[in-house]
Amino acid sequence: MKIFFMIGWRNLWRNKRRSLVVITAISLGIFSMLLAMGIMNGMNNQMVENTIKTSLGHVAIHYDGFHNDMKLKYSFKPQPDIMKAVKDNQYMKHYTIRVKFEAMIRSSEASQGVMIMGIDPENEKKVSSIYQYTLKKEGSSFLESPDSDEILISTTMADKLDLLVGDRLVVMFQDTSKELVGNAFTVKGLFETPISSFDKYVVYTGINTLQKMTGLENRISEISILTNKKEQVDKAAAQMRSELSGNNLEILTWKDMAPSLVRSVALFDTMMYVFFAIIFITVIFSIANTLIMAIMERFHEIGVMKSIGTRPSWIGSMVMFEAVNLGLVGLGAGMAAAILVISLLGATGIDFGFYAESMRMWGTGTVIYPSLKTMDFVVSALIVFANTIIAAVYPAMKAARIKPLDALHYV
Amino acid sequence: MAIIQTSKLYKDYATNGVTVKALRGIDLTIDRGEFSALAGPSGSGKTTLLNIIGGLDHPTNGQVTVNDILLNEQSAKELARIRLNRIGFIFQAYNLIPVLTAIENVEYILLLQGVDKEERYQRSSEILREVGLGDELHRRPQELSGGQQQRVAVARAIVSQPDIVLADEPTANLDQKTGAMLLDMMHDLNKKKGITFLFSTHDQMVMERAERLLHLVDGQVADDEWKKK
Ligand SMILES: Nc1ncnc2c1ncn2[C@@H]1O[C@H](COP(=O)(O)OP(=O)(O)O)[C@@H](O)[C@H]1O
Ligand SMILES: [Mg+2]
Repeated sequence: MKIFFMIGWRNLWRNKRRSLVVITAISLGIFSMLLAMGIMNGMNNQMVENTIKTSLGHVAIHYDGFHNDMKLKYSFKPQPDIMKAVKDNQYMKHYTIRVKFEAMIRSSEASQGVMIMGIDPENEKKVSSIYQYTLKKEGSSFLESPDSDEILISTTMADKLDLLVGDRLVVMFQDTSKELVGNAFTVKGLFETPISSFDKYVVYTGINTLQKMTGLENRISEISILTNKKEQVDKAAAQMRSELSGNNLEILTWKDMAPSLVRSVALFDTMMYVFFAIIFITVIFSIANTLIMAIMERFHEIGVMKSIGTRPSWIGSMVMFEAVNLGLVGLGAGMAAAILVISLLGATGIDFGFYAESMRMWGTGTVIYPSLKTMDFVVSALIVFANTIIAAVYPAMKAARIKPLDALHYV
Repeated sequence: MAIIQTSKLYKDYATNGVTVKALRGIDLTIDRGEFSALAGPSGSGKTTLLNIIGGLDHPTNGQVTVNDILLNEQSAKELARIRLNRIGFIFQAYNLIPVLTAIENVEYILLLQGVDKEERYQRSSEILREVGLGDELHRRPQELSGGQQQRVAVARAIVSQPDIVLADEPTANLDQKTGAMLLDMMHDLNKKKGITFLFSTHDQMVMERAERLLHLVDGQVADDEWKKK
């Protein structure tokens, strides 16, 4: 068999130009598909990372039912045993506590439904990126303590409600005894996250202030936890679930909290692979065409090979090997180019600033850092390999069936 | 001892409704060690006969045995095996695999037979030296002259010690002198190693060198002439 692989390899270089055209087609196809996948991966990763950094964290502990209905009644006391389970969790890196519920804010211009979050600013800095997203100019700054009675709103909301730093607004909500209450806050700072839907909806103030205003006292809505690595969230959550069972708590990972995000990432991946496979159907024809031309040119010598005792199946495998060689060279070149370009772009990032609005909608950030997964290489190699084999079947059968006599006549 | 036996061999070709009777009842026996030529004008059926003996073509009627193996009704795969192991082929020209060097072309046969690497190289280089190509082992066919290419073809045909070497006008594409040298070399191999040769020709020079001349006329053996024994 080795001899047929070798003959196949050398035959490849007999018509260099023709082989190079096919190899270039294959490698360009692979390169552009891997690049597209890389960008898609970058967007997916950043979408996930930004969602984690902005709002979800890795793991959250709520009173059971809170995630589906973010009301004050689903609050819980951070009992020592709960806090111990969080602090002693081996995967836990940082945690913070929050109060959050739906409310209405009103400026002199307009009003809007919001999610108000009471945070402990120092711990919040370690768990989410809201501190980094807060503007530190024109008087805007982050909250200073859990007792802060000032408010952070997004630049989007500031525009909509026509508010500046230092302006006052009113937050209205139902307290724990179902009384509708209104409280005035001063705008302390403005923030801008990569996720526009978040900016349209969320505002921040000190946790102690909210606990007093609502009558929650020391009860909280959420403990948000960051693990050492994203891959540890399931283990971390499982450990806390077993330690805190019977407390009427729901312990959710970011995947539990954003199932549609997880699904869309998986969907994008599959779509890319399917797209890749479809694009490569065209490559099948170009490989098959090249092989058929090559066989026609070598009609006589295939006749000689068969006359002197080469079995039909061996001739077939020679053609297969020739195709595999074409595919492998193309695959190698395409992958090398893709790795090079993607590691370069992965470092510099690609600025999609001109699509800033739609990027903010997806929550990816405007600069995308492409990256490739091992699976991408595996899938693209499999696709190229399968297509090469499929492309070679007909030419190989044709070559195997050449009658030595017909071929010998043909010089 | 008979290596080739044909009995009542007929071959018809039908082209465009016209039937050409290429062979018309050939009974022929070739014994081990012969150095025989099929002579006859163009169109007399020489190539057709050699192809049928070599298992490359099927007769319309009649039987062929090679070393007592009946060729009729062997599968394509089995015929390939017989050609590989029992028959050496030399064609008019373009005998070699262009992407393989001289020695690789010769080794090719042994490789298909599953001979191991060292023995393959040993035997192939030895044979190539015997046909006078000791210095050309690693050249590709296009770097060799026509005569040298035919010598490689001879080396390839005999390297696996076949029962018989079939050569269809092996000198047709060579000049007189080169042709004569090739034939003398083949005759030498016949004498020294006892290899059986059956070749076809319409060249006077080649006929002179054959030990037995089978004259074909219109697909029949018109004369069977033993020149020396
Ligand atoms: N493939 C073929 N199809 C039709 N006729 C053929 C074919 N091969 C040979 N013939 C005919 O058979 C006869 C014998 O041809 P061939 O064996 O080639 O003779 P030679 O080798 O002695 O020149 C010729 O009349 C030739 O035209
Ligand atoms: Mg002929």
